[in-house]
Amino acid sequence: MPLKEKIEAGGFAVLAELEPPKGADFHSLLANADLVKGRVDAFMVPEMANSVVKASSLGGCAFLQNRGFETVLQVCCRDRNRLALQADILAAGAIGIKTVMVVQGDDITFGDHHQARAVNDVTLMQLLEAIAGLKNGKDMAGIELKGAPDFFVGSTFNAGAAGGALDLEIEELKKKKGLGAAFVVTTPVFDTDIFEKLLVKLKPVGVSVIPTVLLLKSAGMARYIDRNVKNIFIPSQLIESIQKAPDKPVECVSIAGKLISRFKEMGAPGVLVSTIGWEEKLPQVLDEARL
Amino acid sequence: MIVADRKPIEEIIEYIKDRDKVLIVGCNECVTVCEAGGKKEVGVLASALRMYFMNQGKEIKIDEVTLERQCDHEYLEEIRNIVDQYQAIVSLACGVGVQFMSEKYFKTQVYPGVNTCFMGVTEERGVWSERCQGCGQCILATTGGICPVSRCAKRLLNGPCGGSSKGMCEIGGEVPCAWQIIIDKLTALGRLDDYEKLAPLKDWSKERAGGPRKVVREDVRQ
Repeated sequence: MPLKEKIEAGGFAVLAELEPPKGADFHSLLANADLVKGRVDAFMVPEMANSVVKASSLGGCAFLQNRGFETVLQVCCRDRNRLALQADILAAGAIGIKTVMVVQGDDITFGDHHQARAVNDVTLMQLLEAIAGLKNGKDMAGIELKGAPDFFVGSTFNAGAAGGALDLEIEELKKKKGLGAAFVVTTPVFDTDIFEKLLVKLKPVGVSVIPTVLLLKSAGMARYIDRNVKNIFIPSQLIESIQKAPDKPVECVSIAGKLISRFKEMGAPGVLVSTIGWEEKLPQVLDEARL
Repeated sequence: MIVADRKPIEEIIEYIKDRDKVLIVGCNECVTVCEAGGKKEVGVLASALRMYFMNQGKEIKIDEVTLERQCDHEYLEEIRNIVDQYQAIVSLACGVGVQFMSEKYFKTQVYPGVNTCFMGVTEERGVWSERCQGCGQCILATTGGICPVSRCAKRLLNGPCGGSSKGMCEIGGEVPCAWQIIIDKLTALGRLDDYEKLAPLKDWSKERAGGPRKVVREDVRQ
């Protein structure tokens, strides 16, 4: 079932993140997708995450779509102005990409081309509005299109926000919904109890909130993320369980699998599994989650 | 200087229409030179606003003051004792002055009275044009003292694009091609060899791409 229909029917959508390589050799992208063929509803292809140059999301999506996989295109405000964004989005519609996810983009300073000039011609909200316009047959200048694309549109949600920041995040979520976003993908979540409460709180907004399950690789990585990455919190017992495990990668896979199961149990509309380099472990993660 | 242009009065009326007491603050520096926000413009704007609101049957007290600068603490302090008397300030300084005033008098609404445009020169009275974008890494030494970052529409660093025609830029509006001027200047200096050198990729992190900028001079810091 296509991603949109599955989410709308109240199913549990499984998204897996597949980053295009830094290079023109896409063999690994295809090999990784093949590993979980039929078990994943769609592959989310990031647009140069962390501002590190890689092949584009559109390129990765086109490549995977050609081989029969459903994909989610990321459109990012950082590197393209309104002309380039619209051009890519129209092309995406033409080649059969059905879902787009709008992101603002990490700052250039996080990446590997520090001297580059960021574009940020339009903001995330404006881009959502623009996509709604394209779906309606008009470009951002109001000029009629020859053939309007149709997309299932999503964006991002910071699940790590708390207190006043969470209130703002919820206000933004309402704005995103008003501009046509039907789903959001969250920052990585490790505390399922907190997320369950968040899900209840966000229900009235009427947007499908999809948590990200990040596959940890070691206790050190978990500790580093918990201490240094804003808005991601990892419970200490989870870090300890990796530390104590005789086979740490197996424990990491088990944690990811259990998180997915828990999200399914609590009625989340799906998950995005992010394996950042350990894509070959995707089948085991899904095995663990019984998916 | 920082060049600004007057805001349409309708915009300013919209800002202050629900206020009873408003202070219009001019600046004696750049905006005075470009005739957008000096003492004279403060007077003209205040009179026009008074006349407008009088015709509308609305009473607004509009006062005027012009400071030496609005980008330095010491001059902004001069209005500390009177700020509380006003519900809003319309600053005719550039965006720098408006913000510094807004930061300093945190409980006071400060509105911009001009549109800040660019760093430029007075070509002739009534004509100001852009010369610098503050890119943070000046390359004028290699371009004959003419800046392609601020004066070429595409900010090209290695000669003109295909749109340069008879010394003019393809965007029209009688904009001279910056690279035509650069080549003419390098020719006059006998340094056309410089033109042949390939400019390296520009480090835009020194410009706004690196986020808001700051210059810290420990040698002069108190």
